[in-house]
Amino acid sequence: MTHPLAGHLEVDESAKTVRHYRYVVERMTRILGGWIALTPELSAKLLMGRHVWDSAQHADAWGKRLPELRASAQVSEPASARLVTFIDALEAAETPEQTIERVVGIYRVLKPHLLATYEAHLASANAVYEPPTCRILARCIQDERRHIAAGETILRHLLRTPALEARARACESELWRRLEAAGGVTGTGSVARVSGADAPPAPLSDDAREFIRLEQSVGAWPIGPELAAALRAFGDALTAGDLDAARRWLASEVVLGPDLEGRLRGVPGGRHRVVACARVGEQRLVKLRVDGTRDPVTLLLRWVPLRDEWRIAALESVSASAAQLA
Amino acid sequence: MERPIAYDKLAREDRLVRMRAREVAQLKVDQGLPPFPDLLSRDSIKERVHGIMVGELQAMEGAGRTVYDFPEAPWEFTMDMARQVWDESRHVEIYVRLLEHLNGYIGEFPETTILWRCACAEDAAARVAGVNRGLEGLACDVFNQLVHIARKMGDPILERAVDYVLADEITHVRMGSKWLTRLTEGDPERRRKAIEFQDTIDERFNLGGIRREGPHEVVPISIATEARREGGFTDEEIARLIKTTQRSAVY
Repeated sequence: MTHPLAGHLEVDESAKTVRHYRYVVERMTRILGGWIALTPELSAKLLMGRHVWDSAQHADAWGKRLPELRASAQVSEPASARLVTFIDALEAAETPEQTIERVVGIYRVLKPHLLATYEAHLASANAVYEPPTCRILARCIQDERRHIAAGETILRHLLRTPALEARARACESELWRRLEAAGGVTGTGSVARVSGADAPPAPLSDDAREFIRLEQSVGAWPIGPELAAALRAFGDALTAGDLDAARRWLASEVVLGPDLEGRLRGVPGGRHRVVACARVGEQRLVKLRVDGTRDPVTLLLRWVPLRDEWRIAALESVSASAAQLA
Repeated sequence: MERPIAYDKLAREDRLVRMRAREVAQLKVDQGLPPFPDLLSRDSIKERVHGIMVGELQAMEGAGRTVYDFPEAPWEFTMDMARQVWDESRHVEIYVRLLEHLNGYIGEFPETTILWRCACAEDAAARVAGVNRGLEGLACDVFNQLVHIARKMGDPILERAVDYVLADEITHVRMGSKWLTRLTEGDPERRRKAIEFQDTIDERFNLGGIRREGPHEVVPISIATEARREGGFTDEEIARLIKTTQRSAVY
């Protein structure tokens, strides 16, 4: 029988482990914070927004534990250069199109590994003289399990096609390979992960299904029958390659311009759909996405009611977001 | 990740139409409408709520960037900013739900990025002065008035929810007041520049004379003197703000 005072870590080793945890959690906090602005999808934004503060509190708790272990407070230390490389690789997913890579990196690789590491630590920590560490571990475990479950919910929402699933798997396996090469967050060589499957139900303010519902909260666009008909006719003219017919909808002072005309010549045979409609008084700002044989074009059209019909008073091509509503 | 990011890197879903605030205001003025939504009808309140929702989104994004952009800042600063990210993410949820409550939807009105531009200041002290004191100070003004109007029109959902958000915003202003002082300790030049930045934001958010001192029912945005005091604004600062609103040109 193990002696109740037997332990697996010396005080200095314990402090070092805590610094390793803090390194990873601090970087995760900053990365999640930095990514919010770079992520188009509202559900993923809210997921990250909710977890930044939990992560900061974990890093803070680890940092405050350090002086109790004869070490300096709030110091982070990576376990190895390879771990730094792993986190750098995770952080590199910063384009708007890479939301899947961002969510996979944090919620399918780093957090599941952190959870497994914390659980293993808690299982082996001495219950007599390490309760201060155990309390922090217990809180982190509870939060990480909840975060992972929420991340999985968002991923199920984002991974809408087999191709996206494949992308997620590729990203996961590449990051996992790097994490294994680093020997995990503590650099000890044993690299495990656990899922958040047994997480208790999330409260309403932390429920990722609600983030998705809020993202999908779209009412009926304020497009009356006349404007709908005008939009359809304009879009049909573009996809038929008939720019003269499309010009019929432009107000007299509006011109297409050579650049835009060139781009629109590439859309025949495609299809068009409204992706946004905002109101400014009686006017409507409509984003029309036109998918053709070449690159898709998203047009921002300002429609103005003139006498008894609608006309386009301004038009420009805008960059399309990577995020298409499900 | 780039540090800091250019303001045009802000990522959005397709359903939001982005437009310059000045341009939106001009389109409204051309149609004989007020440049900034008043609080006289449910529809104009909805437009105001949509603007706030977008502002909360940008505030969450801005605070998140501050967590990332300043790793050398004191750890307590990062903690405060991380807390703010969480608060703002809940505010986004609250305002999306309020938008639903008012039969609106995300993207019903154009998004202006004036707030986000302010959140892109390169110095941490300027950012907290501009965002936490300038913008969150404006939020105090707007929310305080919205609570009053909601109470008057008998909408307890709107009243209670916004009042809780207002309490958070006062906390954020307080954070801004604290960090403006701490980050610029012993560096008067840095402090001067940060305050100057805040002043430009205050001037911009006077919205051409729309924000003023006065009763909630009379002025489009009334200055929340008491809430500002709770957030750490001095009487002198409040008086200075009121004075600047008097000289701002009307749109």
